[in-house]
Amino acid sequence: MSEAALRVEDFSFRYRDTKRYAVRHLSFEVPQGGFLCVVGPNGSGKSTLCNALVGLIPHHFTGKLHGTVSVFGSDVSKKTIADLSTDIGFVFQNPFNQLSYTANTVAEELAYGLCNRGVPRDEMVVRVEAIAHTLRLDGLLERNPLELSGGQVQRVALGSTLILNPKILVLDECTTQLDPLGSEEIFDIVRALNEDGMTVVMVDHDMERVARCADTVLALRDGNQVALGTPREVFGMAGLEEQGVDIPDFVRVTRALSASGLADGDIELTEGPTIERVREAMGR
Amino acid sequence: MKIEVKNLVHEYIPGQRALDGVNLTIEGTEPLAIIGQNGAGKTTLVKHFDAILRPTSGTVVINGRDLSELTCAQWAAQVGYVFQNPDNQLFLETVRKEFEFGPRQVGMDEARIEKRLKHVAELVGLADKLDVNPADLSPAEKKFCAIGSVVMMDCDVVIFDEPTCGQDLEGNARLERIIAALRDAGKLCITISHDVKFVTRCFPRAVVMCQGKVLVQGPVEEVFSQVDLLKQSFVVPPPICRVALGAGMSQAVFSVDDLVERVRKERNNCE
Amino acid sequence: MTEQAGGARAEWLRGLNPTAKLAAVLLLGAAAMAFPSPVLGACLIVVLFVVAASSGMLAPFAKLMVGFGIPVTIMLLFIQGCYSPANVTFIADLGFARLGLEGVMSALQTVVTLLVFLGGFYLMNETTYTGELVADLTSRGLPPKAGYLVLASLNVVPQMRRRMATIQEAQVSRGLDMEGSLVSRLRATIPLLGPVIMSSLTDAEERSMTLETHGFHLNEVRHTSYVVVHHARADRPIVVIAVALFVVSLAIRIAALAGLIAI
Repeated sequence: MSEAALRVEDFSFRYRDTKRYAVRHLSFEVPQGGFLCVVGPNGSGKSTLCNALVGLIPHHFTGKLHGTVSVFGSDVSKKTIADLSTDIGFVFQNPFNQLSYTANTVAEELAYGLCNRGVPRDEMVVRVEAIAHTLRLDGLLERNPLELSGGQVQRVALGSTLILNPKILVLDECTTQLDPLGSEEIFDIVRALNEDGMTVVMVDHDMERVARCADTVLALRDGNQVALGTPREVFGMAGLEEQGVDIPDFVRVTRALSASGLADGDIELTEGPTIERVREAMGR
Repeated sequence: MKIEVKNLVHEYIPGQRALDGVNLTIEGTEPLAIIGQNGAGKTTLVKHFDAILRPTSGTVVINGRDLSELTCAQWAAQVGYVFQNPDNQLFLETVRKEFEFGPRQVGMDEARIEKRLKHVAELVGLADKLDVNPADLSPAEKKFCAIGSVVMMDCDVVIFDEPTCGQDLEGNARLERIIAALRDAGKLCITISHDVKFVTRCFPRAVVMCQGKVLVQGPVEEVFSQVDLLKQSFVVPPPICRVALGAGMSQAVFSVDDLVERVRKERNNCE
Repeated sequence: MTEQAGGARAEWLRGLNPTAKLAAVLLLGAAAMAFPSPVLGACLIVVLFVVAASSGMLAPFAKLMVGFGIPVTIMLLFIQGCYSPANVTFIADLGFARLGLEGVMSALQTVVTLLVFLGGFYLMNETTYTGELVADLTSRGLPPKAGYLVLASLNVVPQMRRRMATIQEAQVSRGLDMEGSLVSRLRATIPLLGPVIMSSLTDAEERSMTLETHGFHLNEVRHTSYVVVHHARADRPIVVIAVALFVVSLAIRIAALAGLIAI
């Protein structure tokens, strides 16, 4: 069996100066090339988990920690954030706060992480052009990042992370501030990267998207792990909504059809099969 | 309540039209959603409703009174605006002070402020946090604090800019209650939102904007039935609506119950 | 910072090495300060005007120098000229106070020094991309953290200004009157500074996380830069002249203090 990209074992964490544990007894694994979506209401510990995966916990945020988080078999707490950054890339919610604020052009912003690694300029130029192409930023390289739209800035943020060739990508609600088109753009790119073998951990609130893309869903509530499994397993669980965890509308529809005797069978997670089910129920 | 927008043009940079001749009449107090891509001009449009922005050309008339007759601070008594980012709006030491600030600015009497405070704090879910510093609230609570501080002013028109951003199921349910409460109190609530699920759940009517113009407006059932027109503005109907239209239903449906009901009817027609 | 200012004619200044420009500005300013009379500073100001003119930046340069120079001169002349404890030789009687020569000279010295620094930095700023300067300094051994501080603080100011405008807008829409007299506007503005600073701090927190996750603290490697650093043939002579001027000025000042020469 190949080594897991991420392994979280009985992980609990309480931020310094707080009384409550932000996450408690989390245990799960993400295989290489896996796509894990983390869902749950606000304050359920999703961001804390992301911070732990990329090493911001315990290196940036201190506090009381139990259990371990390992990236490709090595304990996160024993490496530095900077070292981890070669394996794991992190993109978070507010795109504008992810600019280094040292760059006056998109090209410089994209190259930022490479500068920190002492990559020679010739190589930088090649890699910047390549990543700009992947993220459809070609025409924007000479623009000032602060003058771009939110969606564009988030693509720049993603690009400045991807240019370091991470094997794992952690996305913490990185499309919250974008409009639907901007979100989908980011999302298509992430999906393509995953298909090429990148391991992805994504916190998202769009449950239809989660159901469509995740191979594993982790649901959190008040820092506890309330469900872990395939989207079908997790969203098929009864009582998830009562826990404050949203579910895809397609699940609601197919469940309601079954409950009212208009259709039978399992829940559906995506649009196409749900439409089929509704057609059948309508007698067409 | 009547807001009339005529040939409204706004240019932040001369020559670049953020609003390119908007014509729109909003009558009555049914909650209204404004949807469309970023850069479509939604925020620019609503910022004209309380005179934060002034038209480059064209007019905005609210209840027969031209926008240009009063300053933004004077319009504040009639039109309240909740900004997208609460951090840009909250600046006082306690939630209570935030709630009292707006009403005092527009000259509401203390007894009434006191009375409203209790009601509004309950509505936005901050009744037991009145003495907390807004900076110590969670992001979702900050948003509700910003909403409360504007609802407190008892304006005839209340504008929300992307209220669902960062909210979870519980937060969305609370927003729904707030919008219902405003409607019941006879206030016109205008909301900018990307979240089409939320829009179709809380708003009977919508305006879709695209490239500085109004693309389509009307009851949500009609607006979301025009799939091709919506595509121009990159607005995708919510999942349940897509299922209904995809399954061949002629009209948009937004709730699970309505969908099931419609399926039942169709089935009976077939049999 | 600015890319286009000055147009094509500022090219030769733009092509100079940024560290050479910085060194020249600092050394010339220091020379003006060290020289025991305002004469050198005045000459340097003339030189700066010539440089500005040759780079097609005369109008904005003159506006800045005059706009800053006149009020500061008047203020300093008044304060130091009338109230400097060093005053022994009085050259005019204003009625309520007497103008002393020593104070006047010292005021002029301060003014010309300030103007040399101001004008020098202005010309440098207009023709130097800060990123290039920092990249050059970093490659010369400046710690990356110091470089970061310079660049980030430059970018944070416009960001804070934008945020201030948004926060003001939000308060005006809640009935805060921002129109009227300067005093009332100022009074209305002060409480808004809190959230501006607070939110800038929150942003800074997130930004520091970004930097860390991009490997900012990978210490063992020397940081490189994407920005191309200019070098020109004139770099060396300019710095040499600036050093020479400074050394000579300092020597004259020391000699004057030691009583070897009289000024």
